[in-house]
Amino acid sequence: MVLPHLDDAYGLARWLTGNRSDAEDVVQDACMRALASLEATTVQQPRAWLMTVVRNTAFTWLAKNRPRTVLLTDDAQLLEAAAANEPAASPDPEEALITAADQAALASAIDALPHLFREVVVMRDLNGLTYREIAAAIGAPVGTVMSRLARARGLLIDRLGRDK
Amino acid sequence: MNDTRDNPTLLLLHAAVDGELDAIGTMEVEAKLAADRELASEYDRLVALRDAIRARIPREVASDSLRARVISMARADGTPRPGASRRLTQIISPYRSLAASLMVGVVLGAGAYGVFVPAPAGDDVQQAIVAGFVRGRLSDQPVDIVTSDRHTVKPWFAGKISGPTTVVDLAADGFPLVGGRIDVVGKTPVPTLVYRRREHQIALSELPAPPRNVASEPTHQSRDGFSLMRWADNSHSYEVVSDLPPAELSTFCAAFRRAATAELEDNAKP
Repeated sequence: MVLPHLDDAYGLARWLTGNRSDAEDVVQDACMRALASLEATTVQQPRAWLMTVVRNTAFTWLAKNRPRTVLLTDDAQLLEAAAANEPAASPDPEEALITAADQAALASAIDALPHLFREVVVMRDLNGLTYREIAAAIGAPVGTVMSRLARARGLLIDRLGRDK
Repeated sequence: MNDTRDNPTLLLLHAAVDGELDAIGTMEVEAKLAADRELASEYDRLVALRDAIRARIPREVASDSLRARVISMARADGTPRPGASRRLTQIISPYRSLAASLMVGVVLGAGAYGVFVPAPAGDDVQQAIVAGFVRGRLSDQPVDIVTSDRHTVKPWFAGKISGPTTVVDLAADGFPLVGGRIDVVGKTPVPTLVYRRREHQIALSELPAPPRNVASEPTHQSRDGFSLMRWADNSHSYEVVSDLPPAELSTFCAAFRRAATAELEDNAKP
């Protein structure tokens, strides 16, 4: 139940916490909670369910250990404001610039995303979850997943287009 | 463009890039892309971004020590072993207890396999495969991709699993293809094909063979009321599980091996 998705769980934790050892702590804690609740619940979508536990554990951990970095709000204006701290980008960067972005540039662009945007990109593009699974994992409507994903990718494209 | 990234058309564009649209939606997007150059270049950027992330950001892999810790937690948790979930049976309905013990079965079976046994041990592999089969039957959704066309299943696997997968069409032998799914045995994702015979299902998993593997002929076993067959060639071993009677399962295995050999010879031709 937990093990088949352990890599996905660890990947999400790693991107949310920013480093390996904290990610391991978060995943271990999350798995403990997951296993404890396993007897009491019937789980329909195991992967999304594990993601939920991991993200909640990660956000709790972040709030405690990195309170300044987390922006746990769905308030569009606040998120816009966070994004606006970035200098304005050229309006529509070339596709070639994005194609040319190397691993470090991509990773730092993803790391620069606010957590609520970062998690949807990680779940979708790195872990390969469907919109519905992500919606289940973050407990939001599919529409919210779609708009966050669109905003997140917009920010990534802006950043990658600017770097060169 | 930046100001309009939340508008419905752009959301549709993202959904298209993510393969989340049905045929009608895809047609709609294609028409829009053909009519709007700016939209088309945004689409290209999104595809470039998706491909760049997929190609260059490595998949995170949980360390063995983390995996081991999680496995030992699963054990220490007092979760019931497969077939011994008496306490659960008493408090919740039989169906749920069956599902729960299956899940635990997957965790324990996969776990023991991943940590303590470097080469696949037949029992754990079979346990995982039978669990996958039962889960497929229970959930009414035995496959992740539904298709009777082997040319659809093959590329679908190719996008998810390294190395080619043997997919053959056995409709003429009375075993139409239902589709494919990925099972996880230990830490290894394995391609599983699902074929149908009347109301029965046959799941065939193709596993990378252990080192020093020797080819072997099909042997029959039964486990938890299911028929199992396994055989190996030089590069892979094959595990078949079904609720068919053993005799019919043997027919299936013979047909599969015949077709697989024919395909191999076909591919070898210039």
